[in-house]
Amino acid sequence: MDVNMTYATQDMWTWWLAIYLYFGGLGAATLAVTFLTDMYLKPNRALVIWGAGAGVVLLALGSLMLFGHLLDKTAVLTVLNPLALFNQSSAWIAWGTQFIIWMMVWGVLYALPYVRETEFPHKVPVIRDLIDKPFVIGTARLVQSFHRSVGWLAVINGVGVAVYTGLLLQSFPAVALWHNPAVPLLFTVSAFSTAIAFLLVLMYTLLHDQADEHVRVLYERIDLVLIAAELVILFSLYQYLKNGSESGVRSMELLWNDYGWLIGFIGFGLIVPFLLELKGVMRGWASRVPILTAAVLVLAGGYLLRHYFMYAGVYAYPW
Amino acid sequence: MTHYAMVIDLNTCVGCNACMAACAMENQTPVWDKNKWRTYVHDKEIGLGSDVQRRFFPRLCNHCDNPPCMTVCPTGATQKKANGIVFVDQELCMGCGACAMACPYHARVPVTRRDMRQGREFYGSDYRRTSPSMDKCSFCDHLVEQGRKPACVETCVGYARMFGDLDDPNDPVAQMVASGAARALMPHIGTRPNVYYIDDIRWRG
Repeated sequence: MDVNMTYATQDMWTWWLAIYLYFGGLGAATLAVTFLTDMYLKPNRALVIWGAGAGVVLLALGSLMLFGHLLDKTAVLTVLNPLALFNQSSAWIAWGTQFIIWMMVWGVLYALPYVRETEFPHKVPVIRDLIDKPFVIGTARLVQSFHRSVGWLAVINGVGVAVYTGLLLQSFPAVALWHNPAVPLLFTVSAFSTAIAFLLVLMYTLLHDQADEHVRVLYERIDLVLIAAELVILFSLYQYLKNGSESGVRSMELLWNDYGWLIGFIGFGLIVPFLLELKGVMRGWASRVPILTAAVLVLAGGYLLRHYFMYAGVYAYPW
Repeated sequence: MTHYAMVIDLNTCVGCNACMAACAMENQTPVWDKNKWRTYVHDKEIGLGSDVQRRFFPRLCNHCDNPPCMTVCPTGATQKKANGIVFVDQELCMGCGACAMACPYHARVPVTRRDMRQGREFYGSDYRRTSPSMDKCSFCDHLVEQGRKPACVETCVGYARMFGDLDDPNDPVAQMVASGAARALMPHIGTRPNVYYIDDIRWRG
């Protein structure tokens, strides 16, 4: 068919969807990392409470972004039903919704025994009344008996959410930038990188405990590897886009000619934090400021990645 | 088994837009927003200097055999009938827009509560829509069930739009597709569309 193509970006899913993807990946990966740390590295009550809290709050905020833009909000009940997976197993939003719900459920349950042991919640009126109810006390005791199993259920669902954010975009076949295997990988690595950055910020400020030094050092090393992996994936994506379909070439031109992407995301969101953390891992820093700076930059870069990704998807229309 | 398809002959489309009007009135679409028509005729000038031709290019849902809008629909609102028609169950649709993101043919459009209010004013008491949803062409399945053809086909003055059954070897539409004269748009995406186009060769000559 001899046609005259028209190339266009979309205005259906914009910044608010980028926030949904960002908060989803960040919250879920934060929960997964803190629970794994607690289970296998060093039991850490504060970290788990922050991880579960961040997971639930960020996922709730992100989900509100999507919910707020639905045309018919009452119809969302269909997708909240776990049976939606059997009816629509090909739809990643159906999977993502279930991952989010169950990550929250198992996450709250895993943190519950820790919450009951912590002094602060007992000072907050509503929470105090809630966690002192016999049913909640019994649940906390039951969870304690199966703590690691509950932790793994939360982690699996958390990883599911992080991967889902990329799979969702990958399921749109018309846009070369999104419909390729690098996207779920990129979004998953970015989710875990931003989560570790978030935890480093926490552990260098609010949860500053000398006993957690080896955890912080490990996080810095993992983040270094994750940023390096992200750069490799981006390089591969660039190679894929520049010599592929016209949709891909145009997306590549939109992204790599934009200073927000090139300098904002790749420069300050990846390369600068990479160098700061590399110096920290190899020779150490005298102060916590460089690592904190790197972590904040990674967090900002994580949003920029998703923001520019949403705006740079190019459709090729045959008219 | 019936397998409905449409063939659009670009040689005979005169760009009168009667198909758009017929579709809008038949299906009560939001005519006040040109981005929300179920079918749209693009008008493009092709050529240089004084040697310019106008090309009219009608587009609509391609009722794909492998519809990405259905694959990504989380509620199952987008469905496909055995006869090949892809349709939306308005009551099930929550309007997330994933179908619009997935469609390579720009065939999914949001109909909001605001559109519904305007629709009740525009179409009066006959207005049928009961909930907002992502809208799309249904090949006028309510007419097809009565043995008629889609409104855009019935109204087309140049007979540019033809509707038929691909599984009937005697159907002219099936023959045009089988001969290769009518071809699908962007088959490389893997959607296996059921709207075919006969190329206009006027301007190439």
